[in-house]
Amino acid sequence: MKQAFEVKDKALLEAAELILAEVKAIGADEGETWVSRSALTEVYYELGKVSMVRTVFSDNVSLKLLKDKRKGSTTLNSFAPQDIRLAVQEAWQAAQSAAPDEAEGIAELQENLSFSTGEEQPDLDAMYGQLEQLLKDVRQDFPKISFDSIGIEHNFGEKLYANSNGVRLSERRGLYQLSNMFMAKEDGKTSSFNYFATVYENPADRVCEEKRVRRLLDETQRQIVTEQFVGSFEGDLVITPGCLENILYYVADTYLEDGALISGTSPWKDKIGEQVVSPLINFELVAEHPELPGTSVLSGDGYVAENMTLIEKGVLKNFSLSRYGAARTGLPRSKNSGGTYVLAKGDTPLEEVISGVERGILMGRFSGGNPGPAGDLSGVAKNSFLIENGRITKPLSEVMISGNLADMLRDTVAVSQERENSGYWLLPWIRVKGVTISGK
Amino acid sequence: MLQDFLQAYVKKYGFSGYTELRAQQNRNRSVVMLNGSLTANNSGTSRGLSARVVKGGAYGFASGTGYSDDIEAIAKVVQTASSHAAFLDSRVQRGKPDFPANAPFTRKDGLEHDVPVEQSYLLGIVDELDSYIAERFPRLLSRRIFARVLDMEKLLYTSDGVVSHSYVPRSNVYVFMTTQDKDGQPVELYDVMGGYGNFMNNFPNAGDFFGKLEKQYEQLILKAEGIYAKPGIQTVILDSDLAGILAHEAVGHTVEADFVETGSVGGPMFGKQVASEKVSLVDIAHTAFGQLAPVPVFVDDEGTLAQDQMLIENGILTGYMHNKESALKYGHTPNGNARAYDFSDEPLIRMRNTCILPGTDKLEDMIASVEDGYYFTDMNNGQADSTGEFMFGVPMGFEIKNGKLGRAVKDTTVSGVAFEVLKTADMVSDTVTWTNSGMCGKKQVIPVGMGGPAIKVQINVGGRS
Repeated sequence: MKQAFEVKDKALLEAAELILAEVKAIGADEGETWVSRSALTEVYYELGKVSMVRTVFSDNVSLKLLKDKRKGSTTLNSFAPQDIRLAVQEAWQAAQSAAPDEAEGIAELQENLSFSTGEEQPDLDAMYGQLEQLLKDVRQDFPKISFDSIGIEHNFGEKLYANSNGVRLSERRGLYQLSNMFMAKEDGKTSSFNYFATVYENPADRVCEEKRVRRLLDETQRQIVTEQFVGSFEGDLVITPGCLENILYYVADTYLEDGALISGTSPWKDKIGEQVVSPLINFELVAEHPELPGTSVLSGDGYVAENMTLIEKGVLKNFSLSRYGAARTGLPRSKNSGGTYVLAKGDTPLEEVISGVERGILMGRFSGGNPGPAGDLSGVAKNSFLIENGRITKPLSEVMISGNLADMLRDTVAVSQERENSGYWLLPWIRVKGVTISGK
Repeated sequence: MLQDFLQAYVKKYGFSGYTELRAQQNRNRSVVMLNGSLTANNSGTSRGLSARVVKGGAYGFASGTGYSDDIEAIAKVVQTASSHAAFLDSRVQRGKPDFPANAPFTRKDGLEHDVPVEQSYLLGIVDELDSYIAERFPRLLSRRIFARVLDMEKLLYTSDGVVSHSYVPRSNVYVFMTTQDKDGQPVELYDVMGGYGNFMNNFPNAGDFFGKLEKQYEQLILKAEGIYAKPGIQTVILDSDLAGILAHEAVGHTVEADFVETGSVGGPMFGKQVASEKVSLVDIAHTAFGQLAPVPVFVDDEGTLAQDQMLIENGILTGYMHNKESALKYGHTPNGNARAYDFSDEPLIRMRNTCILPGTDKLEDMIASVEDGYYFTDMNNGQADSTGEFMFGVPMGFEIKNGKLGRAVKDTTVSGVAFEVLKTADMVSDTVTWTNSGMCGKKQVIPVGMGGPAIKVQINVGGRS
């Protein structure tokens, strides 16, 4: 919820105002700070049992100051005035030794706003009940599944951005998150591990009723006995939504974000307005979305983020550049430089995404090295299944894929109508043609 | 240096039931220079207090950021942990007895390394390295230098009378160079320097590292003119860096007792042949080959005195890594593998310094023995699976033809099933090299050391046909 600027925890305001006063007093030209206070409560399962209840109370401060475009920054986890004064001095000393950088700066004056979402207090009974229910449901419906760990946490925090231009932005968020790692086992044999994470607002939700969760548990159960893939061929690759999130992260890092554009290594650096990938690809960064409670509306550099299209019908529309990245490259600052991905649904039913494959694989998880600056990618297609003549035929192990990120999006020939939602991404299945698939 | 405010708390309140009380301070510094511009210039401190209480086998944990002489604030953290343990105990009613008590002891380790380093010192070194690269290497498309310091200090009191105060410093400089190949495609290579120790000791002069930069640039140019590896099973010599990550990712994770309990391949293979008899693997606590290991652990975060943990001995799987609870369950001895990253983290079963022990072969003889294969020299990251299936990235290597090194190889990956690959190890070099720059991820990150000799194996290479 968006509202006029208001910080409930006055300790945050006092710390931020002290930091900006100290920054000014020490002689800096500009300064900015993030101040936050949070409480995380977790119910944790490991070694075959609910093992721990944990609470983490945190105060965190980060600050940056500039003198003649020379930057110094520091972090601490205390609001005590003496600690803050020391931290400002430390940042000041760092700035003295730094070379000037004309691209440095802080967010310009804008409307001061506050945002809030979710509950402040954790419902520990409901969290415990949710974990017990998940274990019961999985034992009953997916008896071969063995969890290495499950964490259900509630994290509430209030954070404040303030800078010497007068910008004041704050956000209060209370969200539940479930994360885990699991595998399937039977008769001394084990599947590859798998995991999912989900962000939500209601701890009474029955996790195992979610289609995505059931699919992942079911696929993992079918991975206990796999066939080693032998040979090498060029075939179709069907990427599941969770795996696609990983691939899109690489795409953003390699082609669209600060690092690749400042260093000049992005192969798309001069391609705004050009067709860079398949017209089936519509890729958006979102700051607010009715189906995604995990979004965050404040950017790290002190702006209110907006939803922004990166790629529309295959045409590159925007980069994902911070204020600094924009100043360094001479390109406009992006309305969103975050990492919450939405890919528009396509017009192919999932069944047809699969049935259209003559020979290829379904990839549930990618385990590989970070792509090189040109986007070359190779690694193991984990939790994968062979697809032959339009049908999923058998689970595979030791199967590798090699290709190039841009080529993979260019060669995308189908996007599913169905999408999955983790609470912080909303993505379909895609089918890519002509990927090198190899085994022993 | 962390002041000891815990002693006063313990003196006043003592402990009620099994408790670990830990104050911790992690100090970070980072400097990043991209094409001569400073893009990060940060320092930071994370300091706080945590308590873990066990009641009837149920754990309660709490932490807070305000570590000071306020004994009542310490008491509040312990009380919160106790009430969490009581809540969970009332639900699960496991009825387990407390862990067997350790003999009380007091230790201080590494505290002499707490020497302050100014941010300007990091900036000076990075600036000199950057200037050298800019002047000397004309074919670079971009360059990035990243200096990082992480000093971890812990003060631990346990209810069975263990007091441990430790300081583990680490400082590294990463250098990334990018050029273009003949098609105009960017090609990157990175190198990392430093390891255990404070920044000034590890980097007394930038000039000491110019030779390494020259070698890195030379290799990058070779790589830019290099070839793609052939996909499929190949004869490969994995140099020390890769053997180290193989030991960590491919074997180490599958023999962490919590992972074994879940169903990793390490469970059914205990006591069986999992590697060639030339392979022995150990997780070193603090001292190896007469020297301090990269990440020395003398006392873990449960208060266990750390010892080396043998994992594979002459090819036989002989041990797991444990915390107190899993050791009790398996009837093994805990050897100090329970480690936490930050003050707000609970101890998990973690590796320390995994190392394949050296063999007797000479690297040059190993290369000469390969008719058609590869010599891979660097790694960039890796992942392992419960099945022992693993993958890691290979940013630098060479083909071997008729026993001689040939053209450089562009980025590729290697993968396989750990125990199958290790069974093919028929040559192991006589020299161990350590890396101390990696962070292992498992709920929390944590610094780890990895070491090994070069090993010759049959392994799947993810090249291009």
